[in-house]
Amino acid sequence: MWKEIGDRERGILRPKSFTTRIKSNRIRTLQISNHKDIVSPHRASINSLQVDLTEGRYLLSGAADASAAVYDVQRATDYEGGGLIAKHKCLFVVDKQHEHGHKYAISSAIWYPVDTGLFITGSHDHHINVWDTNTTQVVMNFKMPGKVYRTAMSSLATTHMLIAAGTEDVQVRLCDIASGAFSHTLSGHRDGVMTVEWSTSSEWVLVTGGCDGAIRFWDIRRAGCFLVLDQSHSQLGRRPTIPEHSATNKALTSKSLSSGQNLNAKPRAQQRKLANGNGTKQSPVGRMPAKGSLRQRLHPGMLSSLDRATAHYGAVTGLKATEDGMYLLSAGSDSRLRLWDVESGCNTLVNFETVRLQAGKPIQLATSQDSALVFVPCMTAVKAFDVWSGNTSQTFRGHYEYVNSCWFSSQEQELYTGGNDKQILVWSPPRLIADEGDEGPAQDRDNWSD
Amino acid sequence: MDKTSEEASSKGKKRQRDQQPTDPQTNQPHHQIFSLEDNLSFTDTLVALRMMRAQFPRIDKVSIQPFILRSQLYSSVKDRTQVDRELESLRREKVVRIFKLNTGQDDHAIMFLDDYLNQMENVVKRLEEKEGDQVFKWFRTHVIDSKLEPSIEHQELYTLLSLGGMVKDGHISLLINAGLLTRQLIDPNMYWFAIPNIGSVLKGLSQGRKEVLSFLNRRRYKEMMLASMEKKCLRFSPLDMRFHLRDLIGSGHLKTVQTSTGLLVRVSKD
Repeated sequence: MWKEIGDRERGILRPKSFTTRIKSNRIRTLQISNHKDIVSPHRASINSLQVDLTEGRYLLSGAADASAAVYDVQRATDYEGGGLIAKHKCLFVVDKQHEHGHKYAISSAIWYPVDTGLFITGSHDHHINVWDTNTTQVVMNFKMPGKVYRTAMSSLATTHMLIAAGTEDVQVRLCDIASGAFSHTLSGHRDGVMTVEWSTSSEWVLVTGGCDGAIRFWDIRRAGCFLVLDQSHSQLGRRPTIPEHSATNKALTSKSLSSGQNLNAKPRAQQRKLANGNGTKQSPVGRMPAKGSLRQRLHPGMLSSLDRATAHYGAVTGLKATEDGMYLLSAGSDSRLRLWDVESGCNTLVNFETVRLQAGKPIQLATSQDSALVFVPCMTAVKAFDVWSGNTSQTFRGHYEYVNSCWFSSQEQELYTGGNDKQILVWSPPRLIADEGDEGPAQDRDNWSD
Repeated sequence: MDKTSEEASSKGKKRQRDQQPTDPQTNQPHHQIFSLEDNLSFTDTLVALRMMRAQFPRIDKVSIQPFILRSQLYSSVKDRTQVDRELESLRREKVVRIFKLNTGQDDHAIMFLDDYLNQMENVVKRLEEKEGDQVFKWFRTHVIDSKLEPSIEHQELYTLLSLGGMVKDGHISLLINAGLLTRQLIDPNMYWFAIPNIGSVLKGLSQGRKEVLSFLNRRRYKEMMLASMEKKCLRFSPLDMRFHLRDLIGSGHLKTVQTSTGLLVRVSKD
């Protein structure tokens, strides 16, 4: 540590590599925090956690008793244990008693990406509420056709303010905060949509994972999805190798063959699906003999809906894109975690040693800042895997019941996890008690106001 | 057994006298000379596949070619990503074929292509000669050769079979009856490729898994030495203990701990 500071002083070490080294050293020593504790007012399992993207200061949690709470993770509300343990109580809580609060469980609570003035909660009572943080009032309300599983807003967006909502209905809806209406719906999934994530490289690209096991990439400016991930399309390595002629020709011909066959078989079923706006679940229609004229009735953008490739053998329960937008991690109820190369749409075949993952509920994955580690809630423990080799780097055991969500704050190198045991646990690098002993809350001269 | 002879030589004559009366009691077939403890890990996927194929237990009632489960490979080779990637390249080179099994969540069986073709031949020979027996030839030449994935769509199957001749719906039913294809439960349009005649073995597989796990769970500390576990005979499974141990260790239900007296097998809590 001192040698590194000396090197930095002399200019031998670049500033960026200095910070990366310190951060990764701290991440390697993560353990249950011995100096920070979050006091959760929730009386049911915690479904969603997010730290705001602008300051990295406020943690928003949504729980199954329809309550959402905000905590300040940088400044403690009071101290215990002689000033050694900082207790962070919630700044405010909105729950069922609130006049416009949710009635059933909150499955997703996210901050407005631009500032902490608004936050959005999606709940099993089919509503998405947009709240004003300072007055804790609901400013906008969207009614969905089914239980809301996930909501997401793009952190890169400069031209739109759309909330993408994944519900138990097959269509993904985009809600516009500026106008208060739905801007459009994305059809293509054959079962409920459990996870939605915006791409980290483009403000127009949305990734959704459904209960049918498919992962679809949508460009919201066009109809239909432009990519469906197929677990049998794989590449050996981080980027695809330069293909030999025979491999590419075979892949191309088999793909065009299958898509051609699909066209002949199912255009009529697709038309029926588009006509029904309320999105009742459609059972797959039986095959019909090919008719050339039917092909013209299908919008070219909707052809991808006929692609039935699956990314997982069960439902897709968690999605996380890496910071550079080149790779996507997906967790499924088949207890597999897969790493996908977004550019080529292939499975990179990295094997993460997950024995069992929670099925039935969406889980939230987290990645460390340079995407070298991914934190996955595996039943009652949280495991940190190395993204490129799939080895388990650390296991965090502390929760008494299943863990639902985790969030990694790269500013503080802290991991926040919430689970069915109603607790939010903080995992941080250990702080040496001896150094901090003489400084206490009394010495904090910056915390003043007129 | 290898291990016991080594121990005998290092400890002197007294050990030998103790071990000798137990040897005739172990009525293991001759190819189990190699103990699991010595052969638990390999360097390469192809080597592991060949060794495990050679160690496949001989089942009297059913004639079945050797197959290897994916979880067995995971327990044998250290790096799982390497296993996945090497399997993928072997599959693309048409050395092995991968089948999805219906016993459990993510079970896959790996069979060498020659063994699979032999198995198909054995099954087809036993079926009566009907007008539809051409379909097996078409299946073998057109479908198996070009479609390397474990599943196939109805339309694609139709097209590939039509390369051989006029295909009727009855032909596809023949294939399903022979056990070469099974319908997918979630999607009526897709089929899984299947190993014919494997039904009883799969039943034995799931029952054997349950038996091994319940046996260990009933013990006080839920653990046992690997060497003594191997000698146990399973009542409900035609496959031997070594097959099941490899499979359960690879899928994470059991874990091995190195102790001063050898490997210990323990039920994992997570």
